[in-house]
Amino acid sequence: MPRYHFHIRENGRLIRDEEGQEFQDREEVRKEAVETGASIARDAFMSGSARVVVVDVQRDEQTCLKVSISLSVEE
Amino acid sequence: MISNTTSHVLIRRLQTISAIDEQDISTIRSLPIDLKTYAPGQYIVRDGERPTACCLLAEGFCIRSKNTFEGRRQILSIHIPGEIPDLQSLYLHVLDHDLVTLTECRLGFIPHAALKVLVRQRPNVVEVLWRDTLIDAAMFREWIVNVGQRPAASRLAHIVVELRERLKVIGREQGDRVEMPLTQEQIGEAMGITPIHANRIIKQLREDGVLEFHRGHVTVLDEAKLEELAHFDDRYLHLSPSQ
Repeated sequence: MPRYHFHIRENGRLIRDEEGQEFQDREEVRKEAVETGASIARDAFMSGSARVVVVDVQRDEQTCLKVSISLSVEE
Repeated sequence: MISNTTSHVLIRRLQTISAIDEQDISTIRSLPIDLKTYAPGQYIVRDGERPTACCLLAEGFCIRSKNTFEGRRQILSIHIPGEIPDLQSLYLHVLDHDLVTLTECRLGFIPHAALKVLVRQRPNVVEVLWRDTLIDAAMFREWIVNVGQRPAASRLAHIVVELRERLKVIGREQGDRVEMPLTQEQIGEAMGITPIHANRIIKQLREDGVLEFHRGHVTVLDEAKLEELAHFDDRYLHLSPSQ
Protein backbone atom coordinates (compact mmCIF):
# COMPACT_ATOMS: atom_id res chain seq x y z
CA MET A 1 0.00 0.00 0.00
CA PRO A 2 1.33 3.46 -0.86
CA ARG A 3 2.39 5.76 1.98
CA TYR A 4 1.15 9.33 2.14
CA HIS A 5 2.53 12.19 4.23
CA PHE A 6 0.18 14.96 5.34
CA HIS A 7 2.19 18.15 5.82
CA ILE A 8 0.31 21.04 7.40
CA ARG A 9 0.84 24.73 6.64
CA GLU A 10 -0.77 27.33 8.85
CA ASN A 11 -0.12 30.94 7.81
CA GLY A 12 3.09 29.72 6.16
CA ARG A 13 4.28 27.74 9.23
CA LEU A 14 5.02 24.12 8.28
CA ILE A 15 4.33 21.07 10.43
CA ARG A 16 5.83 18.04 8.76
CA ASP A 17 4.33 14.57 8.97
CA GLU A 18 7.42 12.41 9.18
CA GLU A 19 5.60 9.14 9.86
CA GLY A 20 2.98 9.08 7.09
CA GLN A 21 0.07 6.68 6.75
CA GLU A 22 -0.86 3.96 4.32
CA PHE A 23 -4.10 4.16 2.34
CA GLN A 24 -5.81 1.73 0.04
CA ASP A 25 -7.21 4.28 -2.41
CA ARG A 26 -7.14 7.94 -3.33
CA GLU A 27 -10.69 8.57 -2.16
CA GLU A 28 -9.66 7.65 1.40
CA VAL A 29 -6.66 9.99 1.14
CA ARG A 30 -8.92 12.82 0.02
CA LYS A 31 -11.35 12.21 2.87
CA GLU A 32 -8.57 12.12 5.46
CA ALA A 33 -7.01 15.31 4.08
CA VAL A 34 -10.31 17.22 4.08
CA GLU A 35 -11.23 16.04 7.56
CA THR A 36 -7.77 16.86 8.93
CA GLY A 37 -7.83 20.31 7.32
CA ALA A 38 -11.34 21.11 8.56
CA SER A 39 -10.57 19.93 12.08
CA ILE A 40 -7.29 21.89 12.32
CA ALA A 41 -8.94 24.94 10.74
CA ARG A 42 -11.65 24.89 13.39
CA ASP A 43 -8.98 25.04 16.11
CA ALA A 44 -6.79 27.60 14.34
CA PHE A 45 -9.68 29.89 13.33
CA MET A 46 -11.29 29.82 16.77
CA SER A 47 -8.02 30.59 18.57
CA GLY A 48 -7.04 33.15 15.93
CA SER A 49 -3.67 31.49 15.34
CA ALA A 50 -4.13 31.26 11.55
CA ARG A 51 -6.50 32.29 8.76
CA VAL A 52 -5.31 29.75 6.20
CA VAL A 53 -4.76 26.03 6.71
CA VAL A 54 -3.24 23.92 3.94
CA VAL A 55 -2.91 20.15 3.95
CA ASP A 56 -0.18 19.23 1.50
CA VAL A 57 -0.40 15.49 0.85
CA GLN A 58 2.76 13.98 -0.55
CA ARG A 59 3.60 10.59 -1.96
CA ASP A 60 7.28 9.88 -2.69
CA GLU A 61 8.01 13.52 -1.78
CA GLN A 62 5.73 14.79 -4.54
CA THR A 63 2.52 16.70 -3.81
CA CYS A 64 -0.40 14.62 -5.03
CA LEU A 65 -3.24 16.51 -3.37
CA LYS A 66 -3.66 19.86 -1.66
CA VAL A 67 -6.54 21.01 0.51
CA SER A 68 -6.73 24.72 1.36
CA ILE A 69 -9.16 26.14 3.88
CA SER A 70 -9.31 29.85 4.53
CA LEU A 71 -11.30 32.08 6.81
CA SER A 72 -12.95 35.21 5.60
CA VAL A 73 -15.21 37.28 7.79
CA GLU A 74 -17.14 40.23 6.39
CA GLU A 75 -18.55 42.79 8.78
CA MET B 1 -8.84 -16.11 46.00
CA ILE B 2 -7.53 -12.68 45.10
CA SER B 3 -3.90 -12.35 46.17
CA ASN B 4 -2.80 -9.30 48.14
CA THR B 5 -0.82 -7.89 45.25
CA THR B 6 -3.77 -8.18 42.88
CA SER B 7 -6.34 -6.75 45.27
CA HIS B 8 -4.01 -4.02 46.57
CA VAL B 9 -4.82 -1.50 43.80
CA LEU B 10 -8.56 -2.29 43.86
CA ILE B 11 -8.81 -1.94 47.64
CA ARG B 12 -6.71 1.22 47.63
CA ARG B 13 -8.99 2.83 45.07
CA LEU B 14 -12.19 1.71 46.79
CA GLN B 15 -10.85 3.01 50.11
CA THR B 16 -10.16 6.39 48.52
CA ILE B 17 -13.64 6.82 47.11
CA SER B 18 -15.67 5.15 49.87
CA ALA B 19 -15.82 4.14 53.51
CA ILE B 20 -15.14 0.45 53.03
CA ASP B 21 -14.42 -1.58 56.22
CA GLU B 22 -12.09 -4.46 57.06
CA GLN B 23 -14.77 -7.09 56.76
CA ASP B 24 -15.73 -5.85 53.27
CA ILE B 25 -12.08 -5.95 52.27
CA SER B 26 -11.66 -9.53 53.42
CA THR B 27 -14.86 -10.54 51.58
CA ILE B 28 -13.56 -8.94 48.39
CA ARG B 29 -10.22 -10.73 48.90
CA SER B 30 -12.02 -14.06 49.23
CA LEU B 31 -13.56 -13.76 45.73
CA PRO B 32 -12.48 -16.43 43.25
CA ILE B 33 -10.30 -14.94 40.51
CA ASP B 34 -8.72 -16.27 37.37
CA LEU B 35 -5.55 -14.32 36.49
CA LYS B 36 -4.53 -14.04 32.84
CA THR B 37 -1.98 -12.04 30.88
CA TYR B 38 -3.11 -10.24 27.73
CA ALA B 39 -0.90 -8.78 24.98
CA PRO B 40 -1.25 -5.13 23.92
CA GLY B 41 -4.14 -4.42 21.52
CA GLN B 42 -6.08 -7.55 22.46
CA TYR B 43 -9.86 -7.57 22.92
CA ILE B 44 -10.91 -8.49 26.45
CA VAL B 45 -14.61 -8.40 25.63
CA ARG B 46 -16.19 -7.41 22.34
CA ASP B 47 -19.30 -5.37 21.58
CA GLY B 48 -22.25 -7.79 21.49
CA GLU B 49 -20.69 -10.50 23.65
CA ARG B 50 -22.18 -11.96 26.83
CA PRO B 51 -19.40 -12.12 29.40
CA THR B 52 -19.81 -14.41 32.42
CA ALA B 53 -17.12 -12.69 34.48
CA CYS B 54 -16.00 -9.14 35.26
CA CYS B 55 -12.35 -8.27 34.87
CA LEU B 56 -10.23 -6.55 37.46
CA LEU B 57 -7.34 -4.72 35.83
CA ALA B 58 -4.42 -5.74 38.06
CA GLU B 59 -1.64 -4.33 35.90
CA GLY B 60 -1.52 -2.37 32.63
CA PHE B 61 -3.86 -0.05 30.79
CA CYS B 62 -6.96 -0.71 28.71
CA ILE B 63 -9.67 1.29 26.94
CA ARG B 64 -13.36 1.10 26.27
CA SER B 65 -14.20 1.98 22.67
CA LYS B 66 -16.95 1.82 20.11
CA ASN B 67 -16.84 1.69 16.31
CA THR B 68 -19.12 3.56 13.95
CA PHE B 69 -20.80 1.76 11.06
CA GLU B 70 -17.99 3.09 8.78
CA GLY B 71 -15.40 1.52 11.10
CA ARG B 72 -14.11 4.64 12.82
CA ARG B 73 -13.19 4.04 16.42
CA GLN B 74 -14.03 6.37 19.29
CA ILE B 75 -12.09 5.75 22.50
CA LEU B 76 -14.55 6.29 25.35
CA SER B 77 -12.40 5.88 28.44
CA ILE B 78 -8.94 4.89 29.61
CA HIS B 79 -8.61 2.40 32.47
CA ILE B 80 -5.84 2.04 35.00
CA PRO B 81 -4.93 -0.70 37.49
CA GLY B 82 -7.46 -1.26 40.28
CA GLU B 83 -10.49 -0.66 38.06
CA ILE B 84 -13.18 -3.10 36.92
CA PRO B 85 -14.03 -1.59 33.52
CA ASP B 86 -16.77 -4.09 32.65
CA LEU B 87 -18.51 -4.16 36.02
CA GLN B 88 -21.73 -3.21 34.20
CA SER B 89 -21.79 -6.66 32.54
CA LEU B 90 -22.98 -8.02 35.88
CA TYR B 91 -26.43 -6.56 35.17
CA LEU B 92 -26.27 -5.45 31.52
CA HIS B 93 -25.80 -8.85 29.97
CA VAL B 94 -24.79 -7.99 26.40
CA LEU B 95 -21.81 -5.66 26.20
CA ASP B 96 -22.52 -2.48 24.17
CA HIS B 97 -18.88 -1.54 23.47
CA ASP B 98 -15.42 -3.09 23.21
CA LEU B 99 -12.91 -3.47 26.01
CA VAL B 100 -9.37 -3.59 24.62
CA THR B 101 -5.88 -3.70 26.16
CA LEU B 102 -3.47 -0.85 25.37
CA THR B 103 -0.39 -2.34 27.02
CA GLU B 104 0.36 -5.82 28.30
CA CYS B 105 -2.22 -6.41 31.03
CA ARG B 106 -2.65 -8.71 34.01
CA LEU B 107 -6.37 -9.29 34.26
CA GLY B 108 -8.24 -11.00 37.05
CA PHE B 109 -11.55 -12.49 35.95
CA ILE B 110 -14.14 -12.68 38.73
CA PRO B 111 -17.19 -14.83 37.85
CA HIS B 112 -20.54 -13.00 37.83
CA ALA B 113 -21.98 -15.75 40.03
CA ALA B 114 -19.47 -15.00 42.82
CA LEU B 115 -20.05 -11.24 42.54
CA LYS B 116 -23.81 -11.76 42.75
CA VAL B 117 -23.40 -13.77 45.95
CA LEU B 118 -21.15 -11.01 47.32
CA VAL B 119 -23.62 -8.20 46.61
CA ARG B 120 -26.48 -10.17 48.17
CA GLN B 121 -24.49 -10.78 51.34
CA ARG B 122 -22.82 -7.42 51.83
CA PRO B 123 -24.91 -4.27 51.35
CA ASN B 124 -21.87 -2.15 52.13
CA VAL B 125 -20.06 -3.57 49.10
CA VAL B 126 -23.13 -2.85 46.97
CA GLU B 127 -22.91 0.81 47.98
CA VAL B 128 -19.21 0.90 47.16
CA LEU B 129 -19.70 -0.67 43.72
CA TRP B 130 -22.73 1.52 43.04
CA ARG B 131 -20.71 4.61 43.94
CA ASP B 132 -17.92 3.35 41.68
CA THR B 133 -20.41 3.00 38.80
CA LEU B 134 -21.72 6.54 39.40
CA ILE B 135 -18.17 7.92 39.33
CA ASP B 136 -17.67 6.02 36.07
CA ALA B 137 -20.71 7.88 34.69
CA ALA B 138 -19.40 11.21 36.02
CA MET B 139 -16.16 10.59 34.15
CA PHE B 140 -18.11 9.94 30.94
CA ARG B 141 -19.92 13.28 31.39
CA GLU B 142 -16.57 15.02 31.70
CA TRP B 143 -15.31 13.14 28.62
CA ILE B 144 -18.31 14.44 26.62
CA VAL B 145 -17.62 18.03 27.71
CA ASN B 146 -13.99 17.53 26.84
CA VAL B 147 -14.54 16.10 23.37
CA GLY B 148 -17.50 18.34 22.53
CA GLN B 149 -16.45 21.72 23.87
CA ARG B 150 -12.75 22.15 24.63
CA PRO B 151 -10.23 23.17 21.96
CA ALA B 152 -7.97 20.26 20.97
CA ALA B 153 -4.88 21.31 22.96
CA SER B 154 -6.95 21.76 26.15
CA ARG B 155 -8.65 18.44 25.48
CA LEU B 156 -5.35 16.59 25.44
CA ALA B 157 -4.04 18.52 28.46
CA HIS B 158 -7.20 17.54 30.34
CA ILE B 159 -6.79 13.85 29.49
CA VAL B 160 -3.18 13.92 30.76
CA VAL B 161 -4.04 15.70 34.02
CA GLU B 162 -6.99 13.37 34.69
CA LEU B 163 -4.77 10.34 34.12
CA ARG B 164 -2.16 11.75 36.49
CA GLU B 165 -4.70 12.42 39.25
CA ARG B 166 -6.17 8.91 38.95
CA LEU B 167 -2.71 7.30 38.95
CA LYS B 168 -1.87 9.25 42.13
CA VAL B 169 -4.71 7.46 43.93
CA ILE B 170 -3.05 4.09 43.34
CA GLY B 171 0.39 5.43 44.27
CA ARG B 172 1.81 5.77 40.77
CA GLU B 173 2.79 9.42 40.71
CA GLN B 174 6.21 9.96 39.11
CA GLY B 175 7.08 13.63 39.65
CA ASP B 176 6.91 15.50 36.34
CA ARG B 177 6.33 12.25 34.43
CA VAL B 178 2.87 10.88 33.72
CA GLU B 179 2.30 7.39 32.35
CA MET B 180 0.58 7.86 29.00
CA PRO B 181 -0.23 4.61 27.22
CA LEU B 182 -1.90 6.14 24.11
CA THR B 183 -0.11 6.36 20.76
CA GLN B 184 -0.57 9.37 18.49
CA GLU B 185 -3.27 7.54 16.55
CA GLN B 186 -5.07 6.53 19.77
CA ILE B 187 -4.87 10.13 21.05
CA GLY B 188 -6.72 11.05 17.86
CA GLU B 189 -9.32 8.36 18.49
CA ALA B 190 -9.82 9.56 22.06
CA MET B 191 -10.24 13.19 21.03
CA GLY B 192 -12.26 12.58 17.88
CA ILE B 193 -9.63 14.00 15.53
CA THR B 194 -7.41 12.54 12.80
CA PRO B 195 -3.87 11.27 13.66
CA ILE B 196 -2.35 14.24 11.78
CA HIS B 197 -4.34 16.71 13.84
CA ALA B 198 -3.23 14.82 16.98
CA ASN B 199 0.37 15.11 15.76
CA ARG B 200 -0.05 18.88 15.35
CA ILE B 201 -1.42 19.23 18.89
CA ILE B 202 1.42 17.13 20.33
CA LYS B 203 3.99 19.32 18.52
CA GLN B 204 2.21 22.52 19.56
CA LEU B 205 2.21 21.48 23.23
CA ARG B 206 5.95 20.82 23.06
CA GLU B 207 6.71 24.09 21.23
CA ASP B 208 4.62 26.00 23.75
CA GLY B 209 6.62 24.37 26.56
CA VAL B 210 3.64 22.58 28.15
CA LEU B 211 4.01 18.83 27.59
CA GLU B 212 6.48 16.55 25.85
CA PHE B 213 5.18 13.20 24.62
CA HIS B 214 7.33 10.07 24.60
CA ARG B 215 6.52 6.43 24.03
CA GLY B 216 4.52 5.39 27.10
CA HIS B 217 4.80 8.62 29.06
CA VAL B 218 4.49 12.40 29.00
CA THR B 219 6.81 14.92 30.66
CA VAL B 220 5.25 18.01 32.18
CA LEU B 221 7.42 20.93 31.04
CA ASP B 222 5.48 23.65 32.83
CA GLU B 223 2.92 22.85 35.51
CA ALA B 224 1.36 26.34 35.55
CA LYS B 225 0.86 26.34 31.77
CA LEU B 226 -0.60 22.83 31.91
CA GLU B 227 -3.13 23.81 34.59
CA GLU B 228 -4.08 26.94 32.71
CA LEU B 229 -4.72 24.93 29.55
CA ALA B 230 -6.53 21.96 31.11
CA HIS B 231 -8.77 23.92 33.55
CA PHE B 232 -8.94 20.69 35.48
CA ASP B 233 -11.30 20.43 38.44
CA ASP B 234 -11.14 17.02 40.13
CA ARG B 235 -14.62 17.35 41.65
CA TYR B 236 -16.08 14.85 39.15
CA LEU B 237 -13.64 12.15 40.28
CA HIS B 238 -15.17 12.22 43.81
CA LEU B 239 -11.87 11.24 45.36
CA SER B 240 -13.02 11.19 48.97
CA PRO B 241 -16.02 9.46 50.59
CA SER B 242 -17.38 12.87 51.69
CA GLN B 243 -17.33 14.25 48.15
